[in-house]
This record gives sequence, C-alpha cells and structure tokens, in this order.
Amino acid sequence: MQRRAWVTGKAMVCSLGDSLDEIITAVRCKRIRPAHLAFTLAGLPYAKPYYLIARNAGDKPENRNEKYFYDLLFSTLSSALADSGLSNAEIRDMHIFFGSTSMDVPVFESRQGETAETVANLFRRSSCGYGKVADAIGERFGIGGNCYSFATACTSSANAFLYAATMIEAQQIERALVVGYDLFNNLGHYGFEALKSIAASDYRPFDRTRDGMIMGEACGAVVLEGRHRNRGDFMHLGGANLCDTYGVSSHDEEGLAVAETMRRALRQADIRPADICAVKAHATGTENNDKTECAAMRSTFGPHVPPTTCVKPFIGHTVGACGVCELILFTESVRRGFIPATPGFREADEALNLTPLTEDLEAGEGIFMLNYFGFGGNCTTLILSNNEERE
Amino acid sequence: MNGLYIHSTASFLGNAEADINYLTGELRRLTPDNFRRLSRFILLALLGARRCIEQHSPAEDAAVYLTTELGGIDAVATALDEIYKGHSLPKPFNFINTMSNTATFYLARNLGIRGRSITVSSRDLSFERGLELLKLDFTMGTVKSALLGSVDETLLSQRTREEHTPRGRRVLDGSAWFYIASEKEGACGAFTGIRSFSDGAACRRWFKKGERGATDVLAFGALISDDESATWRETLRPAAEFDYLHEQGYSGAAAACGASLFVKSFPGRTMMHVNRDRHGRHTVLEVESFAEPQRSISLSI
Repeated sequence: MQRRAWVTGKAMVCSLGDSLDEIITAVRCKRIRPAHLAFTLAGLPYAKPYYLIARNAGDKPENRNEKYFYDLLFSTLSSALADSGLSNAEIRDMHIFFGSTSMDVPVFESRQGETAETVANLFRRSSCGYGKVADAIGERFGIGGNCYSFATACTSSANAFLYAATMIEAQQIERALVVGYDLFNNLGHYGFEALKSIAASDYRPFDRTRDGMIMGEACGAVVLEGRHRNRGDFMHLGGANLCDTYGVSSHDEEGLAVAETMRRALRQADIRPADICAVKAHATGTENNDKTECAAMRSTFGPHVPPTTCVKPFIGHTVGACGVCELILFTESVRRGFIPATPGFREADEALNLTPLTEDLEAGEGIFMLNYFGFGGNCTTLILSNNEERE
Repeated sequence: MNGLYIHSTASFLGNAEADINYLTGELRRLTPDNFRRLSRFILLALLGARRCIEQHSPAEDAAVYLTTELGGIDAVATALDEIYKGHSLPKPFNFINTMSNTATFYLARNLGIRGRSITVSSRDLSFERGLELLKLDFTMGTVKSALLGSVDETLLSQRTREEHTPRGRRVLDGSAWFYIASEKEGACGAFTGIRSFSDGAACRRWFKKGERGATDVLAFGALISDDESATWRETLRPAAEFDYLHEQGYSGAAAACGASLFVKSFPGRTMMHVNRDRHGRHTVLEVESFAEPQRSISLSI
C-alpha cells in the first residue's frame, strides 16, 4: 500500500474570522466583508476593496508592527498544532514548508517613520531573506526539522504543500507543518493597482461583468502526517507543477500549459478526469486568468467539466498564501457537507463556456482538484480526497 | 544517491557595486535574446545559467530549481522607493520583478524549457535544501533533467561593513548553476550525497558510523567556525581541503559557487562539504568531479 500524506490539523485567520467555525459559517451565509483602502502614499483620489483581517482595533493596518506580524502567525500555528493533537516530541520532529509572496515585507513597511531611513534602505540594509519567517517558526515552536520557504508568487504555499506531501509519501519525513502567510502590504496593494488588476467594487471571477481581482490577507496552516487521525481527514493523491513560458504576468489563453499541469496531476494521482467530483478554480477574476483556466478545464475534462467553485470572493486573493488558505476553506466546507457556491456570480460568460456553482452543492466523500497559478508562469494542481478507500 | 549527474556547471561572481548595464552587456555575449527592464537578481540568474548551459541543449521537460537566501533585494527596494519616496505606484515591471521566481520564468523561456519551476530558500542552507527537492523529484521520477542554481545579491549592510562578512571574506554577487540529468553519459561529475542533521552531534554520529570511505577533499560552509572546522579536520583527516570562500569570496550562493568551482577544478576528486545554519542544523553534501566525461557502456545479453 502506498503511503499517503494526510491533513490532520488546520487553522486559519482571514477576513472572515480566526476560527474555522466562524469562517465556514460565514462561507455558508455568504457573509463577505471587504474593506476599502486608499492609495494615500501615491496621492490617488480613490480607494479599492481589500479583504482585511478585522477582529479588533489592533488589526488596523496603521496599528501593526513586527510583534503583530509574528503574533498572528504564531497564534494560527498554535491552533493548527493543537488541532492535530501532536505531542511535543512529534512537533520537534516536524519539517516546515512555508509559502508567501510578501514574506516579511509588511514588517519593514510597519517601521516607516521609526527612523530617518527610508523603508527601502531599511530593507536593503537589514533584510534577512526569504528564510527568516520559517526560521522564526522553528525557533518559536522548537521544531528541529528542515525549513523550506517557497517563493513562487501565487503558487507559493500550494508548492509548499505539494513538496511536503511528496516527502511524506516518499517516507523521507514523518510530518510537516505547511504554512501560507501573506499580510497586507503596500508593495502588493500598490503593485497590483499599477498593473490595473484590482476590481473597483465586487469580486466576480468567471462572470461576464468581472473587472479584476480583489486582494486579501490571510494566514493558514495545515499539519501533514503519514497517517490519518480522524474520519474525514483529507489525503493528498497527487499533484504537478509546470512553467508556462507564455508571459511573465499572464498565461497562454489556450490554456495548454495549465491543462498539461492538470493532466499530470491526474496521472500522478492515478485517476481519470471523470473521477474528479469538484474543482476549486484559481479564478482570480482577471480576464487572462479566467480565459486560460476555463480553456484548460475544457481541454482536460471535455464537455463534462465537474462542478467548479471560485472561493476568492470569500477571502480575497491572498496571493502566496492562497494555496493553503483556499485548501483549508474548501476542504473544511466539504467536511461540513457542502461545496460553496461562488458568491456574487451574476452573469455567465459565453466566451468562457463555464459557469461556476451558483448554489451550494451537497458534498460527501470524493476526489477534488485544486488549481493555482501565478506570475512567472507558475502552474500548480493538487488532487485531494477524503475517501479512505483511496488509501 | 543515484542519478544526479552533473553535465555542466558554471558560476558568475560579480562585484557588488557592478553597474546593471555591465550585467546586461555580459548577458548579451551569451544569448541573442533582448532582455529589457530586468532586475539585478534576474540578470545574475540568467548570467550564471547561460554560462552553465552554453554547450548543452536542455530537454524541453527540464525543471528549474532556483535557490536564494535573499531573493531580489534591489527589485523590492526599488519598488518600495517608488511608493514611499516617489509617492507613486511602482512601475509595472519593477513590481513584477519583486517576485524572484520571475527569474526562473525568463530562464525557462530563454532556454525553451517548460518543466517544473521552483524558487526556494532556507536560511543559511538554501542551496542544500534546493538540492533535496531536486533529489526528491528525481527519486519520484517526476523530473529527469534540471537546472539547479543558487543566486544572491549582496546586502547593503554587507557592502558597507568594510566589504567583509563572517570569517573575514570579501562579499560578492553570486550565481552558480548545474545542469543535472539522470544519465551518466557525458557527465562531468555527480552529486553523490546530501544529508541533513538536526545538530552537529547527529552529524558527527553519522560520520562515526563509518558508512562512507575516507574523505578526499573537505570544504566548509560560511557558518562553520574555525573551532568547528578544526574538529572536523581532526575527525575526518581529509587528503586535502578546499577553502572556496578564500578563493572566491562570500555570497548567499557561496556553497553552490564552491561546488561548481570544485567540479571544474579538481577532476578525479570527491568533495565532502559540511555546512550549518545559525541554529546548528547541519548538512553534508558530497560532490564528485569525474576525471573525464563519462561514456556509456552497453552490455548485450
């Protein structure tokens, strides 16, 4: 019997709340709450929506500092570790797989005004690199295993998950802590606005009236182990990662590389397209993403595309963190019996020839495909199942 | 460790103060492609990788593994300056360049390859962790050939600290690359082992088990102190030592630069490279430099 990697613990903080109960209740009720953030530093006379973590006054971006950055991270990880029920010895033996787009840039931005130095100079002078955050996690929780920090833009934590699961399946490690973390930062907020990628009001991926993406911030963590602990735990069946060399910030709209990634993931999982019960699309809501992804799904699944949901309208596009955070949101919804409809979807786009779920779908055991794409042509597909017979 | 054969390797070591136009000019000598609006980090990655691949045509399905300690420092700082100092939105390409994995994109497009594409970091041990991921993919059969590189710019603080870093080494921009395939034919060397240990004691226990032969050439990573290196020397009694940090200077990509230089400079020898992070996690990397390129031997039954 092939060894599988199982998700045995998870936790998340996002705009919907800081407990899975609160988050999934909000998903069921379609309770969505983007804030609006201005581009004050650039003197622009407008604001754009952003899915901010907003539990209390301490969450306001202007009140944040380095302590906030690490407190939020560590409290999420503590919850995930508690959820898994690991012993201290098992935690010590873990390996850390971290994925993020912004890494610790929010920390440098929060120091603005502390000294006469510019944010850029602070960063140039004292950045500790991409490994700093994972390193801090290891220190805080006494984790002695290896640290791997993935920086593949919006697929970062999906790739972290893929490698952690594969190492467990290859019996190279026993367990892993996989983290996706991206907090609000002006670099991302202003950067995506510079690319004219941010929607003016509503988030409507796959919709004819879509007008871009809305960013969000989140921290998600899953514990992966070589055994399952509870009925309904999800296991990794397979996955793939490829590079689409069409464009640095866009994918080939015929979806060839994206479709090839999906097909390789299916082969890796040793299943057929028809075995997939539902798809969590990447669905950023940009014209290019939606065309590419839908073309790839039609190519992979033919006329029978499985029920498809777009979850970014719940929590925003959490960039490098979306791999783990959307995995948690999706699998936790399925565990509670439903696949969430895409909120805010209004009008099918004939050019896409794909309509996402408009009503929640009852869900049980099955095999699910989760897709993630990013800048730099990065394409990642994960195949997960909660059907123990697949072990 | 079977099947991680090095078919070519090269490095680019740059003066930390070198003008970006100089890097662009150097790159033009290696490829006719016109690269515009690229960051220093991406140019360094392309320079090292193009030098490595010069005589080879990588398979279309080849993967790219880029390891880095710091990522594109200058690109991030440039975009932050546009926002906080220039009070404007960053220029689109300056923002895109902040994502270090765009370096693997430009490299893959330049070489016409479409395989797996991973950018990974691990404080003080990025190159070794990248090699572990590559080894995993080769073992699982998902990757059969790959470019593995390590690229790092120099921090402003390192430049201003009398251009010296731990153990008194000169600091540089570094980019070292290896073209690795599972076939032995034509290879100039091989990664024959990569092992991780939670601390130095576990590493020493493994050495004491004696599962490996005598140490030929010994080398140390940047955080191995003089005291610790003396202990290793005493324990392993190597035939020779290779102080690549003295030869080349220090960059975040130093371990890869050292391995690359070893393969090119010491035919017929095997290097044991001991490295550690600031918390004491240790790695041992074994690299063999073949005496001459390997030819295939066919057996008929």
